[in-house]
Amino acid sequence: MANQTVVQLDRVCVAYGDLLVLEDVSLEVSRGEFLAVIGPNGSGKTTLLKVVLGLVRPVRGEVRVFGRAPWQLHSERRRIGYCAQGASVDLIFPVRAGEVVLMGRYGRIGLARRPSGADRAAARRAMERVGVADLADRPIARLSGGQRQRVFLARALASDPELLLLDEPTTGVDVAATESLYELLRALHETGITVVVVSHDVGVVASYADGVACINRRLVAHGRPEEVLASDALEQMYGCEAMFLHHGRVPHIVVEKR
Amino acid sequence: MEILEYAFMQRALVAGAVIGAVCAIIGVYVVLKGLSFIGAGIAHASFGGVALGFLLGVNPVLSAIGFCLATAWGIGLVARKGQLKEDTAIGIFFASTMALGILFIGLMHGYNVDLFGYLFGSILAVTREDLWITLGLGAGILLVVALFFKELLFVTFDPEMAQVTGVPAGKIYFLLISLVALTVVVSIKVVGIVLVSALIVTPAAAAYQLTEDFRRMMALAVLIGVMSAISGLLLSYVLDTASGATIVLLATLIFFVSALASPRRRWARRRPRDPRPAPLRSVSSDNGIHDRRRQ
Repeated sequence: MANQTVVQLDRVCVAYGDLLVLEDVSLEVSRGEFLAVIGPNGSGKTTLLKVVLGLVRPVRGEVRVFGRAPWQLHSERRRIGYCAQGASVDLIFPVRAGEVVLMGRYGRIGLARRPSGADRAAARRAMERVGVADLADRPIARLSGGQRQRVFLARALASDPELLLLDEPTTGVDVAATESLYELLRALHETGITVVVVSHDVGVVASYADGVACINRRLVAHGRPEEVLASDALEQMYGCEAMFLHHGRVPHIVVEKR
Repeated sequence: MEILEYAFMQRALVAGAVIGAVCAIIGVYVVLKGLSFIGAGIAHASFGGVALGFLLGVNPVLSAIGFCLATAWGIGLVARKGQLKEDTAIGIFFASTMALGILFIGLMHGYNVDLFGYLFGSILAVTREDLWITLGLGAGILLVVALFFKELLFVTFDPEMAQVTGVPAGKIYFLLISLVALTVVVSIKVVGIVLVSALIVTPAAAAYQLTEDFRRMMALAVLIGVMSAISGLLLSYVLDTASGATIVLLATLIFFVSALASPRRRWARRRPRDPRPAPLRSVSSDNGIHDRRRQ
């Protein structure tokens, strides 16, 4: 493969009205990387993902995903799996988990056509991969937070993506389920999938990712987790008061885990 | 039953059954996507369309089709561009199209007696031509829903994700509000402008109380919609009441019975919880802090 860069952002600026949410962000994600994007609430992390997905257009700067502008992606869309924040959908919608996962294939099936046996098999495989195959007939209203996130992850995997983007996958998921979800991401990453996960779980993320990007409107730091966490990037991002929770602790955790 | 021998009653019953089914199916999307207010807005806009038909001397149902589609797209465009909130856009269109209707009626010399029938529905109002329009439009709406079933479901459930995976979410949204507009037009003869939105929302809302499966919800909504329409029409003949009001009140009665019988609360209690975490390890002390901060 000539192009090892999967996502490329060059001096990207995004504004909502007069409010600048991302400023001059330049970032590259290579094939096979596991990148964690961290930052405080409202720092533009989610917007960054939406730029990559083509849901938000930058006012300035260049974005390339698989070598194309994200809003010009056609068949490349299926190479991207996306897992939005869990709270973004109606959680008492009358739909079963298996159908939700199958939705991940709808785009590639094409308009006005029915899912084939191969599509159902792919959805089934995705559910087996994340360990929710037995929940296929369960209405989503009757899933726990952790189960629901796995179902959404299976939906993202149903199109066999090469790039997996996750936005706060552990919101509303407790500690044990959080860890097993990250173990799962690690396993997926080991099969060659490029993973970009947005989170504010600094500690957890740092022990799984092999790269960390700190965003607070600007790209504050980008590098290997131990470098970024040892630098003053977190302090810059969160400000002093919040830092007392993290400072001095997080780097130790990284050391212990490794 | 001798009333079934009357041609007008036969037409009304066939039209009623079609309308009950179509309203219920579109209603499922309206209820789940929260489009009830758009439905009501478009229904009121049809008044302008009907009045325009009277003024121009064309079949009011046909003029209402154009009028309602234009209103639906107008609301959709204004709301999508983000200049206004959706409900504000609806509020503006809803009142102005009714105002236009009142203006059109004022322009007519001699007040039209049929107007009351359009506002509240009348079983006597379904002509042979109306029946064909109802059957044609109804079949068209059902065909489009069948064709784009998976796209409509995806966009109703999770529009952002639909777009990301390559489903044209914007176009499907416009398709959906166009279907709502056509459903309104198909129904106004029998249920009336003022009450159409109730026939769209109520059977679907009742069905929602009874199931957690999308297709089952749709099937139940159709059953409730058709039952309300047919028994409402028969009852309105017997009691000599307005057909639209009778149908809607029957559907509402079914809604309340469903809500009382609803297993939803029981289901909510059955939602599983994630296993409690093991005693915190060294790593987790920090997570504990994060977790508490998030709550």
